[in-house]
Amino acid sequence: MKDYKRYIIAVSLLTVSFLYIFTSNETGVARIFVNLLTFAGIYGLAAIGINVHFGWTGLLNFGHAAFMGIGAYTTILLIPHALGREGVVIETGLPLPLAVIIGMLAAALLGLILGLPTLRLRGDYLAIVTIAAAEIFRLLIRDFEDITGGVYGVIQFSEALQSLRPNFITNLATSIEVSSSQLWVGVITWILIIFTLLFLNRLQKSPWGRALRAVREDEDAVRALGKNAVWLKLQSFMLGASIGGLSGILLAFNYGTLQVSTFVPVLTFYLWAALILGGVGSLAGPALGAVIFWVIISGTDSLAEIFFENANGQQLAGVRFVFVGLLIMFTMIFTPSGILGKKEELLLDIK
Amino acid sequence: MTSNKLLSVSSLKKSFGGLQAVNVDSLEFSENEITSLIGPNGAGKTTFFDLLTKFQNPDQGNIFFEGENVTSFQSYKLARLGMTRTFQLTRVFEKMSVLENMQFSGSSVKNESISRSLIKGKSLNNFEKELEIEVDKILELLNLSHMKYSYARELSGGQKKLLELGRALIRKPKLLLLDEPLAGVNPKLAEEILDIIKNLSIEGINIIMVEHNINAVMKISERVVVMAEGKIIADGEPEAIRNNENVIEAYLGKVNE
Repeated sequence: MKDYKRYIIAVSLLTVSFLYIFTSNETGVARIFVNLLTFAGIYGLAAIGINVHFGWTGLLNFGHAAFMGIGAYTTILLIPHALGREGVVIETGLPLPLAVIIGMLAAALLGLILGLPTLRLRGDYLAIVTIAAAEIFRLLIRDFEDITGGVYGVIQFSEALQSLRPNFITNLATSIEVSSSQLWVGVITWILIIFTLLFLNRLQKSPWGRALRAVREDEDAVRALGKNAVWLKLQSFMLGASIGGLSGILLAFNYGTLQVSTFVPVLTFYLWAALILGGVGSLAGPALGAVIFWVIISGTDSLAEIFFENANGQQLAGVRFVFVGLLIMFTMIFTPSGILGKKEELLLDIK
Repeated sequence: MTSNKLLSVSSLKKSFGGLQAVNVDSLEFSENEITSLIGPNGAGKTTFFDLLTKFQNPDQGNIFFEGENVTSFQSYKLARLGMTRTFQLTRVFEKMSVLENMQFSGSSVKNESISRSLIKGKSLNNFEKELEIEVDKILELLNLSHMKYSYARELSGGQKKLLELGRALIRKPKLLLLDEPLAGVNPKLAEEILDIIKNLSIEGINIIMVEHNINAVMKISERVVVMAEGKIIADGEPEAIRNNENVIEAYLGKVNE
């Protein structure tokens, strides 16, 4: 399939799904859209991180939720917040940008710690270690209640971001009747996606990106040519992890509270669904996949009602994932490299 | 160590379970030589290659490269010292173009650092431009110029062998270890590859190769080392090897008179 055809398919899919949301909701369309695009942006950014791992380097990371979580917890705990069962208020903290950078570095550090022992081994070991590490991380966060707030979570930290909100965002939000804080998070998310993609585009076309692709293809040949494959994989792992950390921070600000239950394993697999739909290895694919994923998640209840007349809300919610599964199936049959992925770089072999 | 000893090993051993795959007491490779390593299937030639290039770790023994003990070095470090190998089953980067295959190999580790790649300064651009000129020269030499922008997986088996050779050459190795460079290659292309190898040797690149094509081996080698069951059973000039009884026995079995 030619590249332009893929873009036509992408644009028409987006148009159809947006039109569908417009027509199937009589009230609050703007609110639904802002919610959808904000979540899609955050998931998209996280999926871009996985794409650096898997699409560029061939690393199987099934613990992305942990990278998102450590980024979010590190940053939020460094800025003013209220914590735990009693809601202990901590008023002092670092400035937000500094806290965000430290949060991303923490995610990269976790990547280093997980990667050092495992990246020397075959790819499936990394998959096992990451999925286990993500669960260990989540349980530790839950149990160290004094530091992390445990199951009671962290609240009252949004001000650090919302105080930076320009007036025109607030005015815009009021005029289209959406939550101004969510609109602000959404705008920041998409700006960060654009910057991340520009950054990654530069790297992908550089000798470094080329080296990563070589590692993805054949690690032994890379070693035979005098390149340290383990170090290249570690760099990729840390970079993807820090992008995951950034998206975790945004996710916390979008919810307004930080809950340990946000970072359950299934989050990672939603990201993988977005990545596979959008196209493994392509630059913008994960973001597109995330939008389509969220259209299905937030827009298909009314469609499901047609098929299952007597179903209750919870049952209908389950149907969403049937649609996600169906769409992944059709994508795999008709364009196995995803909507924006290159057929030539189709990856199903794991290092 | 004397200076003309490029590579030497002492009491190098490797076994898999009960099988002694490699058991070499002492072997030296001098400069300016084409040495061929031959032997029946399962003689341990490829394992020996893997040990020399540290793709496998020996159970015991030492490896010296240019007088330096490199036994504990990792494979990529050895490659940086100037030892480059190819593989029995060609290992090109299938989903990268021929050009990218070559560029990756020729690029320096410094230029592949994430910071330099991000800044993309003038020196990096210049290096990449010079590298491409170098790539063009080698592709010309290997008759691969017309495939420069093709994905490597579109190449034929023989062309992949050539690309692998080219990828090794652009690193300007001191020592080139070729694992069956002629396997699965048609006779005409095999001739071309032999010529290229011969020329490389004349240009001062030292070559050790594993090869099953005895005629080719006898034609271009200055020295032939014969392995059987992990041991060196003969070592000498091609003519001497051809008439060596041990060698004939290893290949054909013992003759009952």
